[in-house]
Amino acid sequence: MDPNFKESGFMYALAAFVIGFVVIESVFFIVKAWKKGRALGLTKETLKNTVVSSAMFTIAPALSILATVIVLASALGIVLPWIRLSVIGNLAYETVASDTMLETMGSSLSTPITDPAQFGAVAWVMTLGTTFALVLVPIFCKGIHRKVGHVVNKSETSAKTADVLSAAAFIGIIAAFVARAIYGKTPDGVGDAGFMSIATLLTAVVASFLLELLCEKCRLTKLQPFAMPLAMFLAMGMAVLLNQVLPAELTGFTWWNQV
Amino acid sequence: MAKQKEKMSPYYESVHRCGRIWTLGALSVLLSVPVAICLHFNAWPAFGDVGKALLKVLPIYWGTAVVEVLTYTPMLGAGGTYLAFVTGNITNLKMPCALNALENAKVRANSEEGEVISTISIGVSAITTTVIIAVGVLAFAPFLGRITDPSSVFSPAFTYVLPALFGALGAGYLRKHWKLSILPVLVGVLVLLLSPTMAVGTLLFITLIVSIGGALAMLKLKWG
Repeated sequence: MDPNFKESGFMYALAAFVIGFVVIESVFFIVKAWKKGRALGLTKETLKNTVVSSAMFTIAPALSILATVIVLASALGIVLPWIRLSVIGNLAYETVASDTMLETMGSSLSTPITDPAQFGAVAWVMTLGTTFALVLVPIFCKGIHRKVGHVVNKSETSAKTADVLSAAAFIGIIAAFVARAIYGKTPDGVGDAGFMSIATLLTAVVASFLLELLCEKCRLTKLQPFAMPLAMFLAMGMAVLLNQVLPAELTGFTWWNQV
Repeated sequence: MAKQKEKMSPYYESVHRCGRIWTLGALSVLLSVPVAICLHFNAWPAFGDVGKALLKVLPIYWGTAVVEVLTYTPMLGAGGTYLAFVTGNITNLKMPCALNALENAKVRANSEEGEVISTISIGVSAITTTVIIAVGVLAFAPFLGRITDPSSVFSPAFTYVLPALFGALGAGYLRKHWKLSILPVLVGVLVLLLSPTMAVGTLLFITLIVSIGGALAMLKLKWG
């Protein structure tokens, strides 16, 4: 067996097939929504702003996803993690799934796979773990959507209640991540809550407030869609800066590792 | 007499029909990957080992899938849901991206306009991610390894990408709904004080229930 089987032409062809499918599906839904948006009276500018701000918003998290591809590449080659993290997969799951399978076979993510059967086993576990949602969505999405629509359309009060509950749901999700930045512990200890996570979180909050304020006061409507991604980049930059200028005792401080 | 189901608009009917077809297509494409690998390399794994590993991960991830479908579907809209569940990275990317787009366009999540904005946002995010990963894999793989390496100067930026992302996103909500925001964050921290390593999927479920419960209580008491 070719030792480079994980990065063979066949694997690249498989990646092209899967990624091509995702891109075509995305384009299909974007075009459909765009046409509907225009029919609803949404301006071209609003739709274009949505495209540009969403693309900008995606850059930093996508780089993190790319970093996970690189991390997994040492054991699995570059192509399988590329396929998995371009479709359905997520940062946490792919690492845990592949590590669990390799552990079961007495190996780990730090050791390159040389046996195609082991490689196939990892591909199976990564795939089967995440496909369940794709079974649930076609069955339940329409029903859930119909129920939500029914509540919203019942009356003006119901619509307001639905809006408040919708905002509350978003806040509930954001709150979990904010709480983790304040007092969360990760299984591998990387990114545990402490000085750096709280400083990054606060920088992001303050930068977002200030940019929003600047946009409002100076009527910078074109900057407004980018305020949030800009705040995110500023916070990431602050994390790099603090790590460079402050003593290691402070930057290394976490609630569990008080250096 | 059986209660007649409320009719959806033709657009929504069409989105659900196309969404189901695309999702089933995606399911087939995804399952074809391990099958193709095993067939091409003529190497089938020991299914006992695969079963053992699946027993460890399936209860967590299938449980999370149920929670995610129930949680995200009402928020992402129909098109957004079908796209997001195929393209993945929902919690850390697609969902905040859609929230940001809805906020910028100043449209309600559960309106037809919200449906359009959410779908475009998630679609663009999926394509951008695909392009960045493809370019990164093909061109910058050796270089990126050095950037994200724990010893790299830039490593903290990637280690703390989630606090940066949710801090920036949360600021807008904190500003508008500060009364609603305090309780779920406090409860989240309290839960983590008792169980610091709690998986985000579980914690998210708790803070979500607390937040919705708090909102219902506020509506009932007409507070805010």
